[in-house]
Formats: sequence, structure tokens, C-alpha cells
Amino acid sequence: MGMYNIYHVTKFTIKEAFARRIILVFAGVSTFSLVILALLLFSTDAMDLVGAFDMKTRVDGQLVDVKTELATGIKALFTIPLYGIGLFLSIFAVSGFIPSLLEKGNIDLFLSKPIARAELILGKFFGGTAVVFLNIFYIVVGIWVLLGLGLNVWSADFLLVSFTITFTFMVLYTLIILVGILTRSSILAMMLSYLFFFVLSPILESRGSFSQFLGETWNMVIEILYYIIPQTTELGRISLELATGTTPESLLPLLYNSIILILTISSSIIIFNKKDF
Amino acid sequence: MNAIEVKSLRKVYSSGIRQKEVVALQSLDLTVDPGVIYGLLGPNGAGKTTLIKILLGITHKTLGEANILGEDISNYQIRKKVGYLAENHKYPPFMKGEEILHFFAQLGGYDKPDLDQRINDLLKLVDMEKWRKTKLKNYSKGMLQRIGLAQALVNDPELVFLDEPTDGVDPLGRKEIRDIIKRMKDDGKTVFLNSHLLSEVELICDRVAVLNKGELITEGTVGELTSDNDEYKITLDSPLEEEFKQKATGSFAGLKCNRTKIIFSTKDSSELNSLIDLIRREEKQIMEITKQKRTLEDSFLEIITGKEGKNGDV
Ligand SMILES: Nc1ncnc2c1ncn2[C@@H]1O[C@H](COP(=O)(O)OP(=O)(O)OP(=O)(O)O)[C@@H](O)[C@H]1O
Ligand SMILES: [Mg+2]
Repeated sequence: MGMYNIYHVTKFTIKEAFARRIILVFAGVSTFSLVILALLLFSTDAMDLVGAFDMKTRVDGQLVDVKTELATGIKALFTIPLYGIGLFLSIFAVSGFIPSLLEKGNIDLFLSKPIARAELILGKFFGGTAVVFLNIFYIVVGIWVLLGLGLNVWSADFLLVSFTITFTFMVLYTLIILVGILTRSSILAMMLSYLFFFVLSPILESRGSFSQFLGETWNMVIEILYYIIPQTTELGRISLELATGTTPESLLPLLYNSIILILTISSSIIIFNKKDF
Repeated sequence: MNAIEVKSLRKVYSSGIRQKEVVALQSLDLTVDPGVIYGLLGPNGAGKTTLIKILLGITHKTLGEANILGEDISNYQIRKKVGYLAENHKYPPFMKGEEILHFFAQLGGYDKPDLDQRINDLLKLVDMEKWRKTKLKNYSKGMLQRIGLAQALVNDPELVFLDEPTDGVDPLGRKEIRDIIKRMKDDGKTVFLNSHLLSEVELICDRVAVLNKGELITEGTVGELTSDNDEYKITLDSPLEEEFKQKATGSFAGLKCNRTKIIFSTKDSSELNSLIDLIRREEKQIMEITKQKRTLEDSFLEIITGKEGKNGDV
């Protein structure tokens, strides 16, 4: 019963996402980027250029494959905007889910069904995540296949990027759900996640570079904020490291963010359970 | 087993930053037998919708007890057997009529294999077959109401809550909806209905309750609520003199006069005949006598205004 309810709401949410144009914009941008990459890789001129470099060069006394280097560059070149623009669009796409669910006359209908409120929220969560994952997976697999065919570089590490970026989205999405339940405002939910994602997390991540200018109290506040605000910048770094084939420096951000994700979605459910509609 | 059983149910909303409190239901006791069409009446803000929302888990009760179909309302699985048409409902606009029915049947836990057939039948019942493949954002108000009614029935519920089911529907459609509600009863379902259209309630409900300011004022069959007294209107050919008016109102309780009309309400036809004798003795010409059946609306207005008056005295 429970699983079925979550499944139905997930399916419904995916449908809702496609009814909003923004997901199609995302898919369109992805497709466009893939086409450009394909043209670059398979146009004869460009390949001649690469062909000219088709040799091993010696850098710092090590043998380096130019094709691999080129592939790595391309992966990094795509991962950064996928992380930035992709998540920007994804947040935009899902920020209205909870407010529209909670609209007067609509929520009544859902709650009058034999479904627990937690199932409703989890269905929304998985539905939004599924749509975003599909989109990200589509472009990541696309790039991977093109690089494989074009440059014969098939390192599967890059595929993991689709999971880390989706995970970053999931963390932000729980925040959107929480703010949506508290305020029923999609704008506020969206703005707050952009604030966390584009401003606070990058600043807190680089706190080492300005801590010397601040007093002890401020540094403590910043240290606390660092652990309670989703560490999305760290997740971005891990994504980039995976894309470029370097071993991630630390996987601890995955743990911290998982804890934040679980805490946020649980409090959303608890608050939602208490609400009158 | 009662279809609905409510004991000392109280609801206080507190909303806004200042936590302003609104008592929506005072301490409500109500029982609805299975298989009846039950009407809940009351002015705007009386608490009718609040009661339904509590019974369906949309709003939480403050105090008291409530059961539907023999189960405490906290057991949400019982809602498998319940249908609901909300007031001012807003269905997902990006879905087609038939998709709505499909989706909410699944969410409603309907798992019998005849779902497609059922949806066809329901679309026919509410006369929406033509629009089944149209998205809801292109529906008119009455069409939304029809699809909402079909949705309320899609999981073959035992108990159906209808909050203003004929809102926004044209007269022909209203008649159709009334027929559908009667059919639900014939199928053995219990129907709980909120409505402002008292003439409609009168036509279809077996029992009614009147709610005002969160309090149950009266409860009974439509007959019990309307059959207190019959009212007669006697029209005369010429204006009544003051003297006659005084004499008549002095001898008959429940009599009102205006210029050429006497309105007399009584249970007793011999009283009516004595009044006619009096009029004839005074050699007045009676043009017309009509018996006016008290409508539910009359009783309702009397109950509500009567109650307000009493409250005002305290
Ligand atoms: N979600 C809510 N938050 C705060 N107050 C509410 C809420 N819902 C209803 N109320 C208040 O509770 C009271 C009863 O409202 P309710 O909607 O139950 O009335 P009603 O009898 O259905 O009225 P109507 O005939 O207009 O539909 C009203 O005073 C209303 O303002
Ligand atoms: Mg109402």
C-alpha cells in the first residue's frame, strides 16, 4: 500500500514536471550541447587536428595521452555548466511542486485519499528527483558515449558525475520542500536554494581564505554555518574530480549532506503532518 | 455500524502571526445512519466544510471523537471506502478528464480489474464522455464539477461527501446531479451533503442538520423540520380596517395582516374555518385562499434568525 502510494505520486509528479516547460528547456539545452560536441568530435577538420597530436607526449617526465587529456578537458568543460546551469534549471522546475500541491482545493483531494502525508511528500521528492536525474543522466551518458566513440576514451568514472550532481539536487530539493510547506511560496523556496547554492555554500567553503580577518566568535559562527548549510560546493568539487578522473580529496561532504537531507525531509514531514488545510 | 459518528467534536483554528483563534466547531454531536442522504445546512462560516475536512483527515480536530464507517478517523485506510467532492476543488490542470479518474482511483486504493469500464460508465453518468481527452485547464466550471463528481465515485465508495455539489452547474445539470445522488442512495451508499440550495436539499435529503456558528441547532427529517404549521394566505377584495385587524389578531394566534391580505399559520383546519366565518360575518369578499407549504428555506431562516435573536438577548 505505502509503496504503491509513493509510486503513484512519483509518477504523477513526473507528469507534472513535463507539463512545465522548464524541464523541456533543460532537455533541449542538453540535446543542443550534445549536438555541438558531436559536430566537434566528428567533423573531419577537428579530428585531423587531434590526429596530429595522436601521440604520447612527455610532461614532467610522464607519458601523457593527448586524447585522454582532451577528453578530460571536455568533461570538465561540460561538468561545470551542467552543475551550475543544470541545477539552476532543475531548482526552477521543481520549486512550484509543493506550493501547487498545497493549493486550496487541491490538497484536500490528495489528503482525502487513503494515503499517509509522509507518502505524499516522499512521492513528490522521488518524482522531482527522478525527472532531474533522467535529464542529467541523459547528458552525462551522451557526453560519455560521444567521447568514447570520438576519442576512444571510455572511463566509467565520469558516469558517476550524474549521481553526484543529482545528489546535490536532492539536498537542495529537500530545502525547497521544507520552505514550500512552511510558506507555500515557490519564489521564496527558489530564492533560498539559489542563495544557499550560489552564495552561501561557496563562501563557507572558502572560509579558510578569510578567517584570519575575523574574530573568534565570527569564525565560530561561520564554522557552525558550514556544517548546517548544505555543502553543495563540496559536492560540486567531488563531481569535477570524478569528471577529470582524479580521486576525490574527501568523501565526507557526502556524509554531511546525507545527514542534512534526512533531517530536512524528516522535519518537512513532521511539519506537514501537523498542518490544517 | 453508523456511517458517521461524531462526539463532542471541537475545532479551533489558530492562524496568522498573532495566532488569532476561530472556533469553527463548538462541541458537535452527530450521527448519520448508513444508506441515507444527509444534508448539512448552515450559513457561511458555520463550520460545515470544517466538519467534512476533519472527517477526511484534511484538518485535525482539536477535541472530541469521530468515526467513519466504524473506524476512528485517524485510520487513514478507511478512506478507501470514501469519496469526496471538495468545495472549490482544483484538480491538476495538466491532466485529462480520464487521467484524473484513473490517477485518483489508484491513489484511492481501487484495485479491481474493471477500472477502465468503471471510468467509461462514470464519464457517461456525468455526461463527460466527449471531454474525456481534454485537459482540465480547458474545462468550464460546470464541467469541472461533473468530473469532480465522477472522481468522488470512482473508487466505488460506501460513503460520499459532497461539498456544494451543484455549485456552478446549470439547472439541467443540477437536476442530473440530483438524480445521480439519488442513484447513489439506491446503490446503498451513504451521502453526506453540504449545500446552500435549500430547495435542492429538500428534494433529495432524508435527514438534515442545521449548523450555525459551529453549533448544531436542529436535526431531523425534512418533514419534521418543515411540517410545524401550514400557512394560509387569504386575499380580500378591499383593504382591511384597523378595527378588523385588531379583532382578528386578538382572536387568532399566528395571524398577520397587511393591506388586503391575511396570513394565518395553523395546524388546525377548524381554526381556519372559524377565521373564514369571521371574515364572512364582516361581509368581506374573499378572492383567494392558498395553502402555502412551508419550505425548508422558511424553517431554515426562522431557525437561524431565531437563534441569532436568542444569542442577542444573552
Ligand atoms: N484553514 C483555516 N484556517 C483558519 N480558519 C479557518 C480555516 N478554515 C476555515 N476557517 C474558519 O472556520 C470557520 C468555519 O469555516 P467553514 O469553511 O467550515 O464554513 P462553512 O460552513 O463551510 O462555510 P461556507 O458555507 O461559506 O462554505 C470560518 O469562520 C472560517 O473562517
Ligand atoms: Mg463550506
